Amino acid sequence: MAARETNPNFMNGVPELLILKLLQQDEMYGYEIVQAIRGRTGAVIAIGEGVVYPVLHGLERDGALRTRRKKVNGRSRIYYLVTPSGSRRLADLSRTWVSLTTAIQAMLMGAQYGDAIP
Amino acid sequence: MATQFHELKERLLRAGVAPRHVRRYLSELADHFADLIEEEQQAGRNLVEAQSAALVRLGKTENLAKAFLEQRQFQSWCARAPWAMFGFAPLIYLGAAYLVACLYLWCGWKFFLPGVDTPFGALAAPTNSLANMYFQAGKFYYYSAPVLVGWTIGIVAARQRIKAVWPAVGLVLISWMGATARIQAGRTAVPRGLGHISMDFFRVGSSSQTISQSMSSAFLILTLAILPYFVWRLRRAFVPL
Repeated sequence: MAARETNPNFMNGVPELLILKLLQQDEMYGYEIVQAIRGRTGAVIAIGEGVVYPVLHGLERDGALRTRRKKVNGRSRIYYLVTPSGSRRLADLSRTWVSLTTAIQAMLMGAQYGDAIP
Repeated sequence: MATQFHELKERLLRAGVAPRHVRRYLSELADHFADLIEEEQQAGRNLVEAQSAALVRLGKTENLAKAFLEQRQFQSWCARAPWAMFGFAPLIYLGAAYLVACLYLWCGWKFFLPGVDTPFGALAAPTNSLANMYFQAGKFYYYSAPVLVGWTIGIVAARQRIKAVWPAVGLVLISWMGATARIQAGRTAVPRGLGHISMDFFRVGSSSQTISQSMSSAFLILTLAILPYFVWRLRRAFVPL
């Protein structure tokens, strides 16, 4: 993904990035994902609990995630797993995110914006 | 919570989201809601408090709907291209149904009436014979095909909360196609030649009698085909869901 996009997927892509990162480590269902995001980000990032599903469904439709049904405690849960295409997407998103944060940090620290872009 | 879920469901369907996506979203939200209640109860809240806390955490109906509607890829084809789904597709389905009817007739003709020039002549077989039952079943299928396609249009439109104008267009078209459908069958001049079956549609004779016949057939088909959709509309109008 180009580092100098005019309209990068900034805050809008955060839930997607976090979800892909979490699911790369382990398969999870919606409730678990929300709790994990809250727990691992120290509740700094708390995404709307119900709105996680449209993101999950969108990623699944794009082929970044796949699902499987699992019966847990008598309840049928939909578990999400990252696909190889999802891993590539995660790598792209991570690179973009790191470039952005580096650039922003450089700005905040007073460096030249152009120097910060790799 | 049932009220909120119902409101969310209606909002998503009316916005054109495909029913299967709505169903899955609601089922996952319901599971999530149950998990949240459990968590809140474990934190020491009573059921009523846990439910209202869970509701707040899950999000407002408006936000839940907005989040899903932003993903345009979940829109059904009926919402994206209603002109195609209710204007063209029913005609194609009815055409396919008639093709099956023609094949059925041709098979019956080959099997039960091998030497006869047309399968439409009087069948010299007892009423309870297999041949008679075969042709009666075919006739029933042929005449009920437009009604069945009409019912399908009505069910699809009701499930997806499509504006009434689109199913109306589809129903009128299939009624007219059904009313003007004509089937012909004859054997070629070649000895032992294959039987030939053909159909034509939308052709109305010039005499006032054939026009009025077609009109009344179309009206009859329309009346029968619209029935499930009409009942559903009435139910929605008078029975609070």
